[in-house]
Amino acid sequence: MSQALARRPARESEFGYTRRLRGWFGNQWGKPRFLVLVTWGYIVWSIVPVLIAIQFSFNNSRSLSIWHGFTLKWYTSTDPNIDSVFHSAELRGALEQSMKLAGLDVLIATPIGVLLALGLARWRGRGSGASNLLMLFPLVTPEIVAGVSLLLLFSQLLTFVPFGTVAQLLGHVTFSISYVVVIVRGRLFSIGRSYEEAAADLGAAPATRLTRVLLPLLLPAIVASAAIVFAISIDDFVISQWLSNGANSTTVPMEIYDATRATPQPSTDGIATVIMVITLLSVVAGVLVYRFFTRGESGRGSAVDDVAGFGI
Amino acid sequence: MTGGEVEVVDLVKEFNEVVAVDGINLQMPAGEFFSMLGPSGCGKTTTLRMIAGFEQPTSGQILLDGHNMAFTPPHKRNVNMVFQNYALFPHLNVFDNIAFGLRRDKRPKAEIRRRVADALELVQLTGFEKRKPGQMSGGQQQRVALARALVLQPAVLLLDEPLGALDAKLRKALQIELKELQQQVGITFIYVTHDQEEALTMSDRIAVMSAGRVEQVGPPQDLYEEPTTTFVADFLGVSNLMTVTAQGASSGRCKVALGDFELYAANGDVSTIGETRIVIRPERVRLEAHQSTGENRIPGMVERVVYLGNGNQIIVGLANGERIQALVQNTGDELAYRQGDPVKAYMPAEALRVLTDTGTAPLEDDPRAHAEVHPLEPVAEEASSPNVNV
Repeated sequence: MSQALARRPARESEFGYTRRLRGWFGNQWGKPRFLVLVTWGYIVWSIVPVLIAIQFSFNNSRSLSIWHGFTLKWYTSTDPNIDSVFHSAELRGALEQSMKLAGLDVLIATPIGVLLALGLARWRGRGSGASNLLMLFPLVTPEIVAGVSLLLLFSQLLTFVPFGTVAQLLGHVTFSISYVVVIVRGRLFSIGRSYEEAAADLGAAPATRLTRVLLPLLLPAIVASAAIVFAISIDDFVISQWLSNGANSTTVPMEIYDATRATPQPSTDGIATVIMVITLLSVVAGVLVYRFFTRGESGRGSAVDDVAGFGI
Repeated sequence: MTGGEVEVVDLVKEFNEVVAVDGINLQMPAGEFFSMLGPSGCGKTTTLRMIAGFEQPTSGQILLDGHNMAFTPPHKRNVNMVFQNYALFPHLNVFDNIAFGLRRDKRPKAEIRRRVADALELVQLTGFEKRKPGQMSGGQQQRVALARALVLQPAVLLLDEPLGALDAKLRKALQIELKELQQQVGITFIYVTHDQEEALTMSDRIAVMSAGRVEQVGPPQDLYEEPTTTFVADFLGVSNLMTVTAQGASSGRCKVALGDFELYAANGDVSTIGETRIVIRPERVRLEAHQSTGENRIPGMVERVVYLGNGNQIIVGLANGERIQALVQNTGDELAYRQGDPVKAYMPAEALRVLTDTGTAPLEDDPRAHAEVHPLEPVAEEASSPNVNV
């Protein structure tokens, strides 16, 4: 006891540096320096490799590791020796296939998802709880499993579904609907039933309540979910790969995968950059539209904000 | 304005075997400001929502001017509602919010413009047409909600705790305004609240509800001065409730034993015999010097004096162990009693009331549960009928 007391001052001087360092990092009344360090560390770790890939898509050389100056030739060149993003038949075809799939996916999955969400939010009683839970299933199923099962389905049972665009589209729509349902239903819950009741009280028949009150209020969630469906569809690799029929239905992620395994070129980085910009734009546009339509609303739906907010 | 008489007959609403409204009967004459008052879960809002048409009754009738509308969908009922959270459409501006109902009714444009302007003038919001609800204060939104409902000239206006979200000062101002508005437009207001002061200030009549039942119906004064049940006495204002043994009527008064002391109660069910409760309001308890004598005086000691500004609340421990509150008005004179002083608490017989039940919740074997209630008879009479044994 007395020994421990006697040793104390010595310890203090001995560990003065660590103590001061701890004070600098862990002072509860000071700035959250440790949090800042971890946060920025993560951001740098996750973004810098992407930025490097983008940088080398503008490299004036085939090298993906040594910088030779700026050029746009990997995007715009018409030289047959250079596979540029916009003029190489393969890359251009992949870009078109991806955009076509994503666009059709949005057009098909969004309305179905909205209607399902409306129905599910109203459905009370036996089965409604289970259905609400199972709705989340496609979100958590490993894509590889979903892909294989769809492959087996289309090759063994529903053989009239041709592989390629049709099968890929069916696959994309299948998992996209869940996202739409979850986002729109979140918004439905956050706006509650009182607006609909108010409309009914003021003499609006059910159809009018839907078009005059519910859909305008759901619009931000619908736009946000469309943007997210577009982004995840364009990003999808596994299901597109399983359900493709070869060269005609190669999407951008498939093309990048193949090209990187064979001979990676700056144009591969280029098409990746293009797809990333498109994805970012769609999500940012979705969020901005969501923000615009919900401005001035108090008590915003947290579920929707969490999902819709992931672009910013 | 014609019509607007609402009658609720044997109304029952069950949600998955939970009985929210347990067979209530109410009559609201045209042009009355009628309040349903009770704690949360007493069934008042469910009743209102059934009158509006958002819930379907399990059984019973809702008569509007004699026609049963229990199974008419809400958009075809001539009643309008002001919601607790206003439910103003956030994507529409004030004008479009108020015009919403008129447009559903396919009124000509000029008429819509005129009536919206009139409604805005009624709630003193002229010039706010282009504002969005999100850009307005709670009080202003409240007025828009009122205008939106009143512009349709309904026979009955339903209000579901419309002042609940506002701060105390604004609430007081709006209480008076609402009452004035109701007298101005002359239609039936059915008002749901858990705030007893709000109900007492505005209503022509109040129904105090508890656990899906109506405890008592009557004008505010009657409910405050002559509560028939413990629940009503306890819920409205501050009450001194005492459990006593009643010994029946003697010359129009009920002799009751409170511990070793004898009291006479001149109000309520004076013929009661057996254990029951009596009630007295704090402002009716008089404190006297310890030496004073006479009937209905019980010795006690001042336990605590709480300064309230307009008066003093004095808590007196009575000699039988009971604790009661007395309210002494602030007259500017110095208070005669301090903590620890011996006093006599004088509870005049005419201020003491014998209640008809002993519990705060309706009893399991409550005779009212099985009694035939004539639909045209106010429930209050049923509850205070002398054949209720306790």
